[in-house]
Amino acid sequence: MNLRFLPIAAALTLAFAASPAAATGKITCDAPQKQWKSMARLQADLVKQGWQVRKAKVDGGCYEVYGTDPQGNRVEAYFHPVSFKKLLVSRRGQVLFRAK
Amino acid sequence: MSVGKSMLWAVLAVPAIVIAYRYATTPDILPGDLLHPTGEWSARLIIVALMLTPLASLFPGNRVVPWLVRHRRSFGVAAFAYAVLHLLFYVLDMETIAAMVAELEAPGIWTGWLALLCLVPPALASNDAAMRLLRRNWKRVQRLVYPAAVLTLLHWMLVHDGLAPALVQFAPLFILQAWHLARTFTQPPPERTMI
Repeated sequence: MNLRFLPIAAALTLAFAASPAAATGKITCDAPQKQWKSMARLQADLVKQGWQVRKAKVDGGCYEVYGTDPQGNRVEAYFHPVSFKKLLVSRRGQVLFRAK
Repeated sequence: MSVGKSMLWAVLAVPAIVIAYRYATTPDILPGDLLHPTGEWSARLIIVALMLTPLASLFPGNRVVPWLVRHRRSFGVAAFAYAVLHLLFYVLDMETIAAMVAELEAPGIWTGWLALLCLVPPALASNDAAMRLLRRNWKRVQRLVYPAAVLTLLHWMLVHDGLAPALVQFAPLFILQAWHLARTFTQPPPERTMI
């Protein structure tokens, strides 16, 4: 009985692991990297708009910025690396803005 | 403190030492970068603590599990300690109370606060004196860890990008608890009063 249980546990663990992964709220951008504008420029633009940037990195081909938006929310925001278009802003997993 | 308990605590402290070392030595590291590891360890230890009773009935002949069950309080206290570290890095990350209050309405945040609040009474009552004082109620106080576990899972799922990592870690606990519940209802086990 005990040993029979382990494969079931393993199977369920994998089932849990596999299915919801596709449903993350992540954004992807597919612009060729040669056309990307610099992350430093995005940060400078954001600061001019009233953002505070703590950290910026590439995620899913987009620029992902951690910081404070002009409204004072602590957010994680995604921008297109070429157009710098704001794509997604979320606060602790709560979506505050999503580009149409 | 027994040798076994000291060794257990040495093991339980390893992730904290690694996290502290990373914080001290990594240039440009932000307090926010350490939210995830501290929270994850707290959740893992809650999961382990809650898995021990069903594990004990799943492997009745095993010798390690009863030892772990006897030291379950240490796992609980360690889970609370990691939750407090998690809070500490959150406070350092947010910098101001106003900023923390402002985002309290985010479901990913208030679930975390509630989970932590649920852990406070069991943690405060984790010593022998409280155990003697509370008698039968001690168990009731400790059962607050169950809502804390549910809230921790919600907090993790809401605040993090993907549901998968949180669910993977909680899956063994779900399975074991479901098995344990099913068994409790189908056949009244004679060893129930022992643990």
